[in-house]
Amino acid sequence: MVIKQELENRVIPLKILLEALETTYGLITNILPPDEVPELEIGVKYIKKIVAEMIEGANEGLPIVGHHFAFQAEYLSCFDIVPVCIEGISYILSCIFPHGVERFNDIISDGFGHPYHTCSSQKSCMGMTLDDLFRFDAIITPTAPCDNTYASYPFFKYKENIPLILPDLPFLHQEKSLHYYGDQIKIALNDLGKVIGQEPDFETMKKHIEIENKVNRHALEIFELKKARPNPVSNLFNAFAAAASIYLAGRNEHLKFYEENLEIAKRRYKRRGRHGEDESEEKMRSIWPYMLIFFSLETLEWLDRSVGMSVLFDIFNYNFSPHIDVKNEEKMWYDMANKGMSFPMMKQSTDFYYPFIEDCVRLAKEYNADNFVFTAHIGCKQFGSVPQILKEALREELGIPMLIIDLDVGDERLTNINIIRDKINIFTQTLM
Amino acid sequence: MSLYDDPFLAISNSITNQYIEEWKNNNEKVIGHYCTYLPEELFHAAGLLPFRIRATNHKEDDLADTYMVRFTCSFVRATLDLALRGGYDFLDGLFISNCCDHARRMYEIFDLKVFSRQEFTQKPPRFYTAVPHVITKEGFEWYKKEVEELKVELEETYRVKITNEALKNSIGVYNENRRLLRELHKLRCLDTPKLSGSEFLQISMANSSVPKEIANRELKRILKKLENSEGKSIKNKKRIMLVGSVVDNINYTNLIEEAGSYIVTDLLCFGNRNILDDVDLASDGESLEEISKRVYYRMSCPRMMDDHSKRLDYLKEQVKIAKVDGIILERINNCDLHGCDNMLFEHEFKESGVPVFSMDRESYQTDTSRLQTRIEAFLEMIK
Repeated sequence: MVIKQELENRVIPLKILLEALETTYGLITNILPPDEVPELEIGVKYIKKIVAEMIEGANEGLPIVGHHFAFQAEYLSCFDIVPVCIEGISYILSCIFPHGVERFNDIISDGFGHPYHTCSSQKSCMGMTLDDLFRFDAIITPTAPCDNTYASYPFFKYKENIPLILPDLPFLHQEKSLHYYGDQIKIALNDLGKVIGQEPDFETMKKHIEIENKVNRHALEIFELKKARPNPVSNLFNAFAAAASIYLAGRNEHLKFYEENLEIAKRRYKRRGRHGEDESEEKMRSIWPYMLIFFSLETLEWLDRSVGMSVLFDIFNYNFSPHIDVKNEEKMWYDMANKGMSFPMMKQSTDFYYPFIEDCVRLAKEYNADNFVFTAHIGCKQFGSVPQILKEALREELGIPMLIIDLDVGDERLTNINIIRDKINIFTQTLM
Repeated sequence: MSLYDDPFLAISNSITNQYIEEWKNNNEKVIGHYCTYLPEELFHAAGLLPFRIRATNHKEDDLADTYMVRFTCSFVRATLDLALRGGYDFLDGLFISNCCDHARRMYEIFDLKVFSRQEFTQKPPRFYTAVPHVITKEGFEWYKKEVEELKVELEETYRVKITNEALKNSIGVYNENRRLLRELHKLRCLDTPKLSGSEFLQISMANSSVPKEIANRELKRILKKLENSEGKSIKNKKRIMLVGSVVDNINYTNLIEEAGSYIVTDLLCFGNRNILDDVDLASDGESLEEISKRVYYRMSCPRMMDDHSKRLDYLKEQVKIAKVDGIILERINNCDLHGCDNMLFEHEFKESGVPVFSMDRESYQTDTSRLQTRIEAFLEMIK
């Protein structure tokens, strides 16, 4: 029992998360009317299941391996481990706790000197690690997408003595980049195996990659349905799709998550309905080309129900993975690299601005968007000079406006949610 | 002896200078760059003048604020502002690497907003190399190829042939330049330093703004002048090492030194970081490969994710060599790279008992009283 407790104590934030998810699930199923917020119920159901399995894995003594969200979790399925996404845990707890993860941000910022302007997606998990709530056996991260990654991750190695595996991801989108990064992924997985004392089982990894190939097809189908007016997909789906791409990656639950959400979207599409109180009314269609506000996911519901704004997609919902050919091993590493470099945020961060601007303009046309909302996150210096040029491109090419909101998407103290909602309200009034 | 009135140091106070004008009058090209992760010898061998972009003494940033959100680096914002006001209209090209998120985006912003201004009859060419963020064998092979491709691009763009002979000559010029700067650096490490940290900074900035042949001539002249001079009296002054984000203005270093200290050493990119390593001329390797090796394996900045230990070892060594009394770790607000590297240094040096002070600042210093008080308090704290 003592040993089990000790093993479990390596992942205390997961235990906290599981309790929060169970409580939330209980409230959804017992209090909310049936089918009131189905995306929420589906998302919480599957993430809760996987988090419980992760804790079980920790109980069994499996190595705890931290990973960047941009190192695809299904690639880690070649090992028998508990994969913990550094950014994923920071932001899911920020979503689910009434006061977010401010306590952990303060532990690493005020207590250790981590700069206030460095990304909260890593900050919280660093705080948890410094507070001995996580005990990682190894951490793996690509050398991308941003300064925060190269700046913050060395803390784990140099302060916490955790082995840090660093597949190098080039900041250049060319054919040679895919070969290079493919090799880097392979080297990194072998290196990780040596650190945790396991031989990578690439046959198992292939099975999990194939699940993701299928997930991608469903994701594209949902994406296509969003072209309909009104948009049959709720705003909240976007947030859960992002969380699912981390927590459910490579698992059958990910497939089920998409199958169930696709079913809901199809039903709504057939009756030309949308999510919210007044199903018939979609007052505006908005693209959030960057991130959602993780510390206040309820704002997505507020947008759907009170403002009548469909958030067609955010950065985690308009980048689709290329198919990975697992039958040809040489091609597989290349395809895995392609997926890694096409992943949300990685694609935009490691390339020049031009394709990002082109994508935004194209998507606005294809999906009949009538406005953009750009969340300028304090951590994302790689996007610090894009909002204005995107705003100009949208105005000049399509005549549609863009609202820029400065904030920390994972910590409400930088910009209060009421101020954000006021800004959105004023912005939308000018559109009506 | 003070170098205050020295004409070479005065070059650092402005952006352009007489040598640039002469260079341009001869129809020769100037290439702007932000970061020291570039194969300067290659540009030199192509007959181009690499000019390190800075914003010394530029106080405005409202034009740049339109294009860069408030969470970005005030140094890069100031350079962009200056460029939007015409301060960099003398550039014939721009070289960018993925050094940091703020500076690398100038590749697009210069294209869309600076070079598209009517002052440019046609857009100057831009060059980009992707530098790995780790130091590995595979990473070096990648970088070497990048530099080879850059060579071809420069040859095609400027219709020049970059020969091995020209590269060897450029390596000689640049190695000499770094050697001279190291000699100067040694003079500030002396028990009675012969030049101040501010003077060394001015020399380094001027050095990055003129053709290297002229710089070498001037550095030799200054060295000779200093070798015969008496050292500065540093009685009651503390010997400081300055570490962190780019410093391109002596207002900041003067603030530190006038508070009662000498900056006897540093790890800054307008300081020691870029002069410690030479290209190996004696090696049998191809010149271009040796140039790439120097850039890739040199004393890193925090953009290199796996090299913190090397930087720490260098600082520890400098504490001994330069008899450092205390370390000032500075970062420009929003500089994540130096902010986090400094965070680690702060704890590592506190553990070893070296007084250390971590501070944030903006690129152009306006709140001097606040900073002065903090610096004075730190210096008083050092026994």
